[in-house]
Order: sequence, then structure tokens, then C-alpha cells
Amino acid sequence: MFWWGRAEAAGNEVLGRHLSAECTACHQLSGKSVTGIPPIVGWPEDQFTAVLASYGRKERGGQVMQAIAAKLSHGDMTALAAYFGALSPKP
Amino acid sequence: MTQTRRHLVAGSGAILAAASLCMPAVLGQAKARVVVVGGGPGGATAAKYIARDGGGAIAVTLVEENETYQSCFHSNLYVGGFKSYEQLLHRYDALTATYGITLARQRAVRIDRDTKAVLLADGTRLPYDRLVLSPGIDLKYDSVPGWSQDAEEAMPHGWKPGRQTQLIRQKLEAVPDGGTIVMIAPPNPYRCPPGPYERASMFAHVLRTTGRTKARVVILDPKDSFSKQGVFMPDWEKRYGSMIEWLAPRVHDGIKSVDPAKGTVVTGFETYENCAFVNVIPAQMAGAIAREAGLAPAGGYCAIDPATMKSTADPAVFVLGDACIAGDMPKSAFSANNQAKVAAMVVCSELAGGPAFPTRYFNTCWSLVAPDDAIKVGGRYEPRDGRIAATETFISQPGESDEVRRQTQAENMAWYDAISADIFT
Repeated sequence: MFWWGRAEAAGNEVLGRHLSAECTACHQLSGKSVTGIPPIVGWPEDQFTAVLASYGRKERGGQVMQAIAAKLSHGDMTALAAYFGALSPKP
Repeated sequence: MTQTRRHLVAGSGAILAAASLCMPAVLGQAKARVVVVGGGPGGATAAKYIARDGGGAIAVTLVEENETYQSCFHSNLYVGGFKSYEQLLHRYDALTATYGITLARQRAVRIDRDTKAVLLADGTRLPYDRLVLSPGIDLKYDSVPGWSQDAEEAMPHGWKPGRQTQLIRQKLEAVPDGGTIVMIAPPNPYRCPPGPYERASMFAHVLRTTGRTKARVVILDPKDSFSKQGVFMPDWEKRYGSMIEWLAPRVHDGIKSVDPAKGTVVTGFETYENCAFVNVIPAQMAGAIAREAGLAPAGGYCAIDPATMKSTADPAVFVLGDACIAGDMPKSAFSANNQAKVAAMVVCSELAGGPAFPTRYFNTCWSLVAPDDAIKVGGRYEPRDGRIAATETFISQPGESDEVRRQTQAENMAWYDAISADIFT
């Protein structure tokens, strides 16, 4: 079971890395804070997933993020949360 | 069935793909060779992501003759005085230093698809296993009667970066109060669908804020409608009164000719004489290198497989960005950057055993109408029925609050910084 847990984690990382490319067109991978588009690096994973899910249900406002999140599965969201959560903001 | 779908990653199967990501396709074999032609949002992004995700198994060469990339996107903000020209410049140093990409500072002159090689202006021959073409557009200089390449100084297009963009600003600065600017808008499909109308907004903004309130901007359009028209037009009236006049073909009855020496534009209904400035944005087509390689047999642009971004004429060649026919996706920097990531995934899957995921696309185009007043249009796209089809779209609404428009402009500025970092660092 330990091996499978590691396998899933690795698969999740590959998925998160893949999906992250869509995010980095607008959100800087450095986590640099700029006015207009919030940094998404280094967030707690559950918070990251909850915010994405809220966009996906169109509860949270924002045309771009609603359209992005609408097509993400829960697994996609947690993979992204893990990927960006593991990064540290660079000044 | 495509390679993408065959190698679909699902569940724990991803671990096998993840393990192979970091190994050459065949141990001991020389690296696979990828040549990328064009260092804009499509090409530079593809080069970066292929080098990054190829696990050391792929040698990437980026062919780009210019030392510095000058972005067309946000060049209207330079025209409007919201950015300096230097803010549109980007170098390739980080791509070569960080990802090990070889930069060939040369012009690509020909593609030999039979032997799979790109020929450079200095005679160098670059063999490839996969070729990524992102050459941008060429202008159809014969698409406006009386206009030609010789006339592009007198009546600039400003649709390619560099001197042309700067000419647009210089001519705008010289417009006298009471003068008339005529913009001839391009027919579809062309680079940056909302671009001409954002530029007209910038003309009006500069004229108004420099006291030239009697000057006017006339847009002669060969199209019956244009991108974000339902938002642009009420905003123009709100911000600039009657300064911007947009005329559809049924109103101007066709652009019959221009006279670059005299500054004259003749339409079916009216002749505009002694124009202060005529901005001719002509019809467009894929860059010559792609057309001459036989990849754009009809209509001047290159057909692609929507699941992979591969040319329908050659499975070893990918065509990205403004040069390709991307279905419902507009020709934008965002689109090119997005398409490049799909191509990179497919290349790494085929040459380095990387994972393949379902193909999907996204785009957003922001346009500045006035200070702190931007609008946007965008959508999500997927391969469907042999083309890239929109599955969800969004657009700014007329009459939105000042706060929403201010926020949209803040997004626009932040997007530029982020996508520039995504492409060039």
C-alpha cells in the first residue's frame, strides 16, 4: 500500500505540473505579488482547492476563473493545489 | 486515433509515464532533435516547455533572427502612452541559460520536409525529428488598392513590431486639431481581432488628452461586425463622444483606393482628402516560411490537427499561433502560448515518453478603451469535429461599473507580466 500511495502522489505531481501550465499564462510561477492577478504559490492545499471549487460552481465571481474551473475535476484541483502549494514565493 | 488519446494518463498509470519522463526514449541513443522557428509567444513557449519537460532527452534549437523580441501585444498601450517601448522588449537569455535551448540567431529561409531539415540564411542545415513553426503573419500588400510595401512609411500598418509601431505613434503625435485619422481595418482572419479597435481607442485618448478635441478617427471596415463591438461602441460614445466613427461596408460601400502621396482614401460613398494620418491594416496570411513549405495550401493559413497542433500536411511539423487555422480560437499571444503547451506535451510524449493528457485550450484578450477602463473576451476550447471549437465563452458587458473596468485593466497589466515571464523565463 505504501508503494501505491507513492505512485498516486507521483501521478498527482505529474498531473499538477501539466495543469499548472494553464495557470502560468496569468499567475506568475515565482509567486510575485502584482496588482490585478493574485499570486497562487504556497497556499494551504485545502484553501486552494476550496477557492477553485467555488469558481467552478460559479459562486465566486470572475469570468476567467469561472471558465477555467468549470472544466477541472476535483482531482485536477487537488493536484494543482499540491503542485502550487509545494512552491515557495520568490521575492 | 491520435497519439494523445492512445497514451492518455489515467490514475496510477501516470507513475510509469512519470518515470520515463526523465529518460531518453532509447538509452544510449543521441538526443531527439526539435527545431523551433520563431521566437514569439508560440515558438519561445514551445521551446521552453519542450526543453523543460523533455527530461534531457530532447535537444531544442530555437531559430530567431532578432536579438530582442518586441511584443505586438500591448503595443497599443505604447501608442496610447501607457507603456514605454522598452517595456515591450524581451530577451532570450533566460531560455538558453535555464533550459539549455540553443539559440540560432539566423533567419530560417527554407524547410526541406523530405529530409526533415531547416535551412538558415548562413547556409546552416538543421536536421529535426520534430519541427515547430510559429512564424507569425505576413501582410498581403496587394489587399488595399493603391497601397504597397513602398507605401508603408507614408501609410503605416503598425501590425508588425518595431519601426512600424513607432511610426504609428509619431504620426499620431503630428495630427493637428481638426485633422482626420482614417484607419482601414483588416478582413478576417487576422492577428489580434480587437486590436484595431483598441488602437482607435488609444488614438482618441491621446487626441483628447492633448487638447485636439476637434480631431476625429474614422474606421473603414471591410467587416460587418468586429470583436467586442457591443462593448467598444457604447464605451467610445461615453468616453470620446463622436470622435470615433466606425463605418461598415454597407455604409462606406467599399474601399476603392488609397493615394499614399496625397493622403487620400476613396470609398464608394466618400473621398477622404488630406488625411492627417492613414493607418492601413491589410489582409494577412501565415509567414512565408510556412507557406513556402506547402503547409498553407488554401487561404494563406496552415491547417492543423486540433488534438495535437500538428500540420494536417505533415505529422512531423507543428504550426502554432497566428500562422495556423485554430478554429474558434483568435490569433492572440495568449492563444499561441496556450497552443505551444499542447504541442510541447505531444512532442515530449512522442520523443521522450512523457505523459499525454486530454487536449484543451484557453484564451483571453484584454483591450484598453480609456485609462482604467479595459474590456475582455475569452473562452475555453476543445478539439471537436476536426476543429478547435469553443465550449464556453465570456465577454465584458456594456455598462459595467467603473470598478469592474478598473479591475479588468489591472488584470490586463498583470497578465502581460505573467505571460512574458511564462514565455521568456
